[in-house]
Amino acid sequence: MSNVVPRSVRNMLSAISWPVYILLYTPLALVALYSFAPAPNHSGHSLHAYSVLFADGDVGAALQRSLILAIGSATVSTALGTLLGYGLCRFRKPNARGVAANLPSLIIYTPIIMPSLVFGISELIFFNFVHSTTGLLGAGLLTMVIAHITFQVPYVALTVFARLAGLDPNLFEASNDLYANGIKSFFYLTVPVVRPAIIGGFLLGITLSIDDFTISFFTSGPGSVTLPIYIYGAIARKGISPEINALGTLMIGTIIVLAILHFFINRHRERASQLPV
Amino acid sequence: MSASALPQTAVQTESRARAFRLWVTAGPGLFWIILFLLIPSAVLLGIGFLSSNDYGSPVMPLTSQPFQQVAGFSLLGWDDGNIIIFLRSLEQAGIATVVTALLAYPLVFFIMTRPESVRPLLMLFIVLPSWTNQVVRTYAWLELLGPNAPLTWVAHALHIVPPDLGIAPGGFAVTTGLAYNYLPYMIVPLYASAERLDWTLVEAGRDLYASGFKLFWHTVFPQTIPGLLSGIIFVAIPAFGDYVVPQLLGGDRALMIGSLIANQFTETPDWPYGAALTIIMLVFTAAGLITFRIMSRKLGGEGEATI
Repeated sequence: MSNVVPRSVRNMLSAISWPVYILLYTPLALVALYSFAPAPNHSGHSLHAYSVLFADGDVGAALQRSLILAIGSATVSTALGTLLGYGLCRFRKPNARGVAANLPSLIIYTPIIMPSLVFGISELIFFNFVHSTTGLLGAGLLTMVIAHITFQVPYVALTVFARLAGLDPNLFEASNDLYANGIKSFFYLTVPVVRPAIIGGFLLGITLSIDDFTISFFTSGPGSVTLPIYIYGAIARKGISPEINALGTLMIGTIIVLAILHFFINRHRERASQLPV
Repeated sequence: MSASALPQTAVQTESRARAFRLWVTAGPGLFWIILFLLIPSAVLLGIGFLSSNDYGSPVMPLTSQPFQQVAGFSLLGWDDGNIIIFLRSLEQAGIATVVTALLAYPLVFFIMTRPESVRPLLMLFIVLPSWTNQVVRTYAWLELLGPNAPLTWVAHALHIVPPDLGIAPGGFAVTTGLAYNYLPYMIVPLYASAERLDWTLVEAGRDLYASGFKLFWHTVFPQTIPGLLSGIIFVAIPAFGDYVVPQLLGGDRALMIGSLIANQFTETPDWPYGAALTIIMLVFTAAGLITFRIMSRKLGGEGEATI
């Protein structure tokens, strides 16, 4: 198929693309490079910034909050999103038209389309209002978890829906014929079949949570500083320091290692499943 | 006629059971989004029509004053500051979109000309930076563009940037940061289009003695338009309202609409004014979204398995 592309064009594409790949990783590599800055009054490279970082209790607390936020929100959004994707695929009236029938789609796409700044400020105002009238939901880790669940649910739902929509509907008919009721059929047929999508949705939720700054920033309180908010505050106050670079390096490194591991494990599984039985 | 009434009730019961199951499964997720996003954003939009008290909090009565403020009117007369910020945001989003599209085409076809087994890996390395945290991958550019950074030294030597200033903070740094952050959002849909490309059309074009750019323009490009249009939506809309990039790389010299809105809720609170700015920003966003949706429908964009 691609043998249509002449050699000269291929060379030109390579000449443009490899520098772009390098440029994509240059800023990240510089963060890592500067994290090995020497300790004050010393020369050469050192792990000084890392030892300062590990001794800082605020960073440890922020890391803990970031993990609670990511895992907590992804767990709830996986449950809500899986049910949502499943319900819309199985129980929505087929071929329904009109505003009422499209309402679920509209609701699901709102968090995806809405600019995250508007998202964050809406939550800020809402939680502020709820807190001032009822005393509940003061800005903190709980409000952040709620906001993170809200932006993850649609992505999980879409992932699960796409997987279910690709299945043979006769599968569910067969399960009904074998006298499985709704709940049984959900746990014995749907869950195993869509398990890859559920796991994918959960990982996507964690990735979205770790990536986010804007929504976290507007829903956080003074006692719920997470890693991105910590870094942002530190840069705003005193600029980039070797400690910030060390923290950035660890965050970048963790994501890159996990993503590459996930990629190769997945590829290995796919290959294995393609073997003739 | 009881014979025809019987299946009728059976259908009704089944339809009711279906509706009940839909409520039980889809209900909680939809309810969550309505409660924690749709209602809050409706409140935000409503605040744009209220007056502001001394603390910048919304109070009755209803007024159009916040929108007059957005247009640039205040006690001191008219000021073009807001219009400049809006135009700058549009310009930044526009340039970032063009840059990502110009980079995405060679990258996508570079990947397409590689062996099938390495393509997923090459795509992974495109998307990977966007999985790191927004703040980290954005401030990372300060290491290249900041006041005492390698590219700034080059800019000083070429007399593009005045001495003792950096490329960042500034407009060019914002463009770079936006293009960097949103490049994967252009590449992924474009790659999906390129994967479905009908290469026999290209061969037919070549048989008709077309070559080079002409061949690309008439045989390849039209087939990638659906992917390009999705890419434009995924890049331009979030870039227009981006908060992190102008905040970290722009400074006061390159204030964008996102920072202007955020300021009304943080540093110098004026909620009704901030809400009115948000409404105007959303109007722009919606207009862009609808325009590109109509274009992609007309140009034959095909849907995937979506809800």
